[in-house]
Amino acid sequence: MASTTTAAREEIPSWPVNKDDYELQEVIGHGATAVVQAAYCKPRKEVCAIKRISLESTNQDELLKEVQAMSQCNHPNLVYFYKAFVVKTEVWLIMKLLGRGSVLDIIKHKVAKDQHKLGVLEEAVIATILRECLKGLEYLHRNGQIHRDIKAGNILLGDDGTVMLADLGVSSFIAVGGNMARDRTRHTFVGTPCWMAPEVMEQAVSGYDTKADIWSFGITAIELATGKAPYHQYPPMKVLLLTLQNEPPNLDTGVSNKNTTKKYSKQFRKMIETCLQRDPDKRPSAAQLLKDPFFKKAKSKEYLVDHLLTNAPTFKDRAKTPKRVVGSSGRLHKNDEGDWEWSDDEYKESGGRDEKKNKEIKISIPIPAAQPANESTEVTKNGKIQTSVSKTPSLTDTDSSTTPVSPTSPTHPSFFHPPTELTPTPTKVKRSGSDVNANGKKAERTSSAPVAANTPQPAPTETLPVNLVLRLRNDQQELNDIKFAFTPNQDTPDGIAQEMVSAGLVSGMDKVIVAAKLSKLVSSDIKPPVVTFPLHQGSLSTNQVPDEKTLFGFAQLSIVDSHK
Amino acid sequence: MDSKTGDLSNNLEQQRSRTLSVPVRNFSTRLLLRLSKMSIFKKAHKSPADIVKSLKSVLHVLFEQQTSGRKMDKAFEDLMKNLASMKSIMCGTDQHEPQSELVAQLSQELYKSEIIDIILKNLSRIDFEGKKDFTQIFNTLARRQIGSRQPTVEFLCKKKNILDILVEGYNDPDIALNCGIMLRECIRYESLAKIVFESENFFKFFEYVEMSTFDIASDAFATFKDLLTRHKVSCSEFLIKNYDRVFPAYTRLLESENYVTRRQSLKLLGELLLDRHNYTIMTRYISKPENLKIMMNNLRDQSRNIQFEAFHVFKVFVANPNKTKPILDILLKNQQKLVDFLSNFHNDRSDDEQFNEEKAYLIKQIKELRG
Repeated sequence: MASTTTAAREEIPSWPVNKDDYELQEVIGHGATAVVQAAYCKPRKEVCAIKRISLESTNQDELLKEVQAMSQCNHPNLVYFYKAFVVKTEVWLIMKLLGRGSVLDIIKHKVAKDQHKLGVLEEAVIATILRECLKGLEYLHRNGQIHRDIKAGNILLGDDGTVMLADLGVSSFIAVGGNMARDRTRHTFVGTPCWMAPEVMEQAVSGYDTKADIWSFGITAIELATGKAPYHQYPPMKVLLLTLQNEPPNLDTGVSNKNTTKKYSKQFRKMIETCLQRDPDKRPSAAQLLKDPFFKKAKSKEYLVDHLLTNAPTFKDRAKTPKRVVGSSGRLHKNDEGDWEWSDDEYKESGGRDEKKNKEIKISIPIPAAQPANESTEVTKNGKIQTSVSKTPSLTDTDSSTTPVSPTSPTHPSFFHPPTELTPTPTKVKRSGSDVNANGKKAERTSSAPVAANTPQPAPTETLPVNLVLRLRNDQQELNDIKFAFTPNQDTPDGIAQEMVSAGLVSGMDKVIVAAKLSKLVSSDIKPPVVTFPLHQGSLSTNQVPDEKTLFGFAQLSIVDSHK
Repeated sequence: MDSKTGDLSNNLEQQRSRTLSVPVRNFSTRLLLRLSKMSIFKKAHKSPADIVKSLKSVLHVLFEQQTSGRKMDKAFEDLMKNLASMKSIMCGTDQHEPQSELVAQLSQELYKSEIIDIILKNLSRIDFEGKKDFTQIFNTLARRQIGSRQPTVEFLCKKKNILDILVEGYNDPDIALNCGIMLRECIRYESLAKIVFESENFFKFFEYVEMSTFDIASDAFATFKDLLTRHKVSCSEFLIKNYDRVFPAYTRLLESENYVTRRQSLKLLGELLLDRHNYTIMTRYISKPENLKIMMNNLRDQSRNIQFEAFHVFKVFVANPNKTKPILDILLKNQQKLVDFLSNFHNDRSDDEQFNEEKAYLIKQIKELRG
């Protein structure tokens, strides 16, 4: 058996990873950052769809998640891709061509033709579409994945009546190779408000699981019948409120003309009701829902072809070919009239990266020997960051072995501290975050540790040091006060920031911002002399919301006393 | 104890004493009761030893004998069944948590057999769901912990060829992503990451991350990044020791034709240089004018994302209090150009306070540079 499949594979070449092997045709769909085009694959003599995702406007990590989620799925009701490759600044996903677009497209078409007054789709069609989706969903859940964005716009139809669930973009693994029974909840806020389950909105501490998809599935059932999700007319925040405050919606929620829903059966309403229960535990699983009597009404693919697709538009009706041959260069986007158009603004100047390389920015590198090594006039002093335990050992003599720095200043005392030589224990002040507020006084010495830098070492210039405190949270999210002295004309903000990074007090990602703030504070007359500023993303643990008051994701730098 | 459960316990006991050398009577009655209750609901009736035994013979038929036709199909079918049973023991099912006793037995059986090697070597011949099942079994196995011991990590340390097979897996598109998932699980453990560093394997990633298939190249990059960032001390040691080999290869990534490779490697470089553990590496890197040149070119790339990532590396050169002479010379030569350039650089990022502060600071620093 295995041998026959390999033989079959050899006859048709596998999907190529070269854009020139594809002839791009009509645009059949588009989203915020992607366009889907029909295409013809020349070596295989086969049509396909290409999802072209612009990488310039996409979070690459999210995209990778989507691609990985898709590549872990192999089910007739889930969209998958054959190949993915990079073309300039886009990723092209080569996929099966589902020529009829999404169920939402069909709904819109019917509404436009005024065929929706008595319900948009007939019940058997709805049952057929939903059962196919449910099969895909059941597979996804069995795999430990949540889809998180089930809606008519994400249900795609092929010419032969194939139903596929698309956009695994937001779907995510709840358990990759883990314990299925335990690690099944998520804590992220993703989805489209109208379809979103209450517990997703509430971001319950317990997280949410596959049952959130069942809620969205119930909302989608309403959408297929009435053409809209309940609360569709409200802005997102209002939808959140209504979903959280009201009884779960039903087929008639938000429907102005009761004739729209009159024809739908009790069984259909009952199925929706079981999905839309506030308590996720009470909702059925996808596997259980497949056994719901409503789905006995489901019919075959052919039924969908005859009863749904015969008078629905094909992609060729809907599509507009973009004005330029695609894939050459440039960027596809929709213009004000809603037509597809190519822009070459990105590449016009140079015609692509290859040429660009030859036009590199001119950098003149003088011969090193030409100038004496007098570039730095700073004299540095060690122990700038006071630690409660010990003084930083002198660095002026021996550190050059570990730090192959500036070859031009071998005798110059290095300001950089090799990380190992600093005691990583800062002056720690553990307090609750509540008493932190933005006034200059609060940095008083309530700490048990010795007050920093009040033993002025004989300074070579007459400038007196400024005592400062940098307050921020450490990896354990405890508040720390880092007390240090800054001597103008002696210290540099870079140097101080580098010391803090070396000592593990400040993340390297924040080095430059700390230097920038320090530089600003000591050189100006800000009153009170306090600045609060955001730190790099990722300084927080997951689910922690940045807050300026309590200094989660922020740091505060203040001058304690100054001899100015 | 009602008679029904009692019977089951006896059955189980008989079955187990056949396959295990450990006398079953050592188990407490309560444990037996639990095991027997479980076996009523469990799809997997076979004991771990039975599964492994059956798996061995199936694998022998599949991969060592030259069989074909019906016998082959049957063997593949059995393989899938055995993998499914192993998975439900290792990972539990929707209804059941995994039973630690059974997990322990199965793990022991796997450690002492060659099964993991054989399956990994033939992974591409196993069907889609079978590969996924095995990947999940492997990862759960890898995470095993008994007190402070990590038996699977110890096992993998002894069988270094398993890591070789996983790294090599990136060359086969049919198994690349599965191997990637398993490999990333392995390198969460420092001792296993070190094995990858110490072999030639690490350098293969410089090719993998540039492969033409986006999903595989990206997955390889994720592994590459984990290797370079997860175990700070080992990684830094490795980079210092191999600086002259790693950074020329890394520079090729920064100059890659592939947009994704360039963008990802720039971003990672920024993270590496700003990590205090990599202090020595950073100092060395930012002392070289060639490196500054690459960043200055990337600052002017067509892609705004590339420009932005390059900015975060470029700032390290400028904010270095001990600039080497060649670096200082380049900055001085281009002083006014850089000030002008930065003054107009990504001015629309008005909501990004950190970026704007940093940029203003760099401009100030560059302005104040004196030769």
